[in-house]
Amino acid sequence: MNGQGLIKGLGITFKHFFQKEITEQYPDVMPQLAPRFRGCLQFEFEKCIACGICVNSCPNNVLSFETEKDENSKKKKLLSYTIDFQHCMFCNLCAEGCPKQCIYFDHNFELSSFKREDIKMVYLRPAEMDMREEESTNGQEQQESKEQKQIDAMQKALQKNPGKVLSKILEQEEDIIILSELMQSDEKTAGKIAELMVKDKEKAAKVAAGFVNKAKKNRAKTETAGEGGDAND
Amino acid sequence: MEALFVNLAAVLSGWLTSLGLSPIWADTVLLFVKWIIVITIITLNIIILIWLERKVSAFFQERLGPNRLGPFGIFQTIADAIKLLTKEDIVPSAADKLIFKTAPMFFIVVAVMLYTVIPMGQGMEVINLNIGLLFFISIGSLSTIALLMAGWGSNNKWSLMGAVRSVAQMVSYEIPLAFSLLGVVMISGSLNLQDIVAAQGKLWFIILQPIAFITYFIAATAELNRGPFDMPEAEQELTGGAYTEYTGMRWALFFLAEYTNLVAVSALMATVFLGGWQGPWLPSWLWIIIKTYGVILVFFWVKWTFPRIRMDHLMSFSWKVLVPVSLGNILLTGAGIYFCRWMGWC
Ligand code: SF4
Ligand code: SF4
Repeated sequence: MNGQGLIKGLGITFKHFFQKEITEQYPDVMPQLAPRFRGCLQFEFEKCIACGICVNSCPNNVLSFETEKDENSKKKKLLSYTIDFQHCMFCNLCAEGCPKQCIYFDHNFELSSFKREDIKMVYLRPAEMDMREEESTNGQEQQESKEQKQIDAMQKALQKNPGKVLSKILEQEEDIIILSELMQSDEKTAGKIAELMVKDKEKAAKVAAGFVNKAKKNRAKTETAGEGGDAND
Repeated sequence: MEALFVNLAAVLSGWLTSLGLSPIWADTVLLFVKWIIVITIITLNIIILIWLERKVSAFFQERLGPNRLGPFGIFQTIADAIKLLTKEDIVPSAADKLIFKTAPMFFIVVAVMLYTVIPMGQGMEVINLNIGLLFFISIGSLSTIALLMAGWGSNNKWSLMGAVRSVAQMVSYEIPLAFSLLGVVMISGSLNLQDIVAAQGKLWFIILQPIAFITYFIAATAELNRGPFDMPEAEQELTGGAYTEYTGMRWALFFLAEYTNLVAVSALMATVFLGGWQGPWLPSWLWIIIKTYGVILVFFWVKWTFPRIRMDHLMSFSWKVLVPVSLGNILLTGAGIYFCRWMGWC
């Protein structure tokens, strides 16, 4: 019949009238963004190596930085990094090219601001970064950290191949076996011996001998007790 | 509650005559007050209606609609009105200035004139005309001239196209519109709207005249330039039709007039087919408001459901379907009345 479609159409809109809205309720409810959503560019100053790949790859000249040559290490030093975001077209070329992943997009899309100038983001060299560099050039601390590294390496070697390492401080094969068994059961002993071996070999030998003697005595005691127990049975 | 406004009017006219005014002058002042009230109601109505239409259309499309300004976004229209009032008033240099400027005023005046005869309650109308219905139909068709003025005065091809369409459409839909009301007039035996309301004491005319109701509804949609018959505006094809060149308050006046027309036609429909102000429990003026808004909501529903139809389909629908159907309805009604008399039922 003519006009049936009209009634049907009215019915459809009537049904939709009472259905829940399907639109995004943005300011009230934040939208669900895809993981690779391109919102606002973020920059991590400390990771950047000032290679300039991002600056060269940007088609819109959004990015720029200032560098300086460090007198001591002769390395390029990043002084400031500027993202003039108003020209960005979100092509992601900068983030793709960065070898250190220190420029990337986050999920913040609320970029409006009252003034054009506010869109520009300037990152200055953080003061802590320079301080940390000074610390690392300081002699004593550097040595200390070197020692620590050596100790760590020694400990690893001890774990891997105790016989070979311990042969430097102990002469008898039996003692070596006893000590390596002891170290396996007690990590503290291993740590102490490794530390001493790096710092002072003679002292290490003495301490190692002491440990061995103590272990020998202990073993003797338990052996005799065990025999007595057997006799009682 | 029932006679609240009637009593107020009586008190006012009594007070005026006690001041020493002759009854004629007292009546004139009273008429003036009534007009001010009508215009206030219209303006308030528009604010609510525009908000309502946006909200309703949003719900039909599963959106939320305006919801930022005030509770449920109710102040959105007010903000829009302020924005429109403060906008620049542009008159195109090639426009026919006088016609261009008077068109919106003419449109709104014609729209407000429709309220003269609508009974807004028991004994509540601006003027109780004994040819009220005829007055309503004839004044209603005057808005065509306003649209033609706007289209011609703008001196813009889209505007003129819109105006020509509106004239063609309105003139052809005028006929089924008047014919469909004729059935009601035949049964009630009067052109006075209060009499028509009184004649529906037992049975609403929507039951006695269902065909007339449907044809009137369709023709009224076309008369109001509402979707799916909004050919004169046709934003997508004519960039706003006759309103293309209008800006700011002039454009807002057209908008205002369209909604004013909508309320007037809905009120007439409620009066003629839905028993007017009659109804149980609530005061009469509340009943007419409820019924009018009910009809308006149906208009919204239709607009947001159907797509705009083609101009030639529109015309052929009017001449080939609506006119014969409404003529047939008159014939049927006449035959029914004679049958009734012959049987002695009325
Ligand atoms: S996303 Fe593209 S346009 Fe934006 S800063 Fe990176 S390279 Fe430049
Ligand atoms: S590509 Fe990465 S590391 Fe290189 S300058 Fe740009 S942000 Fe720094």
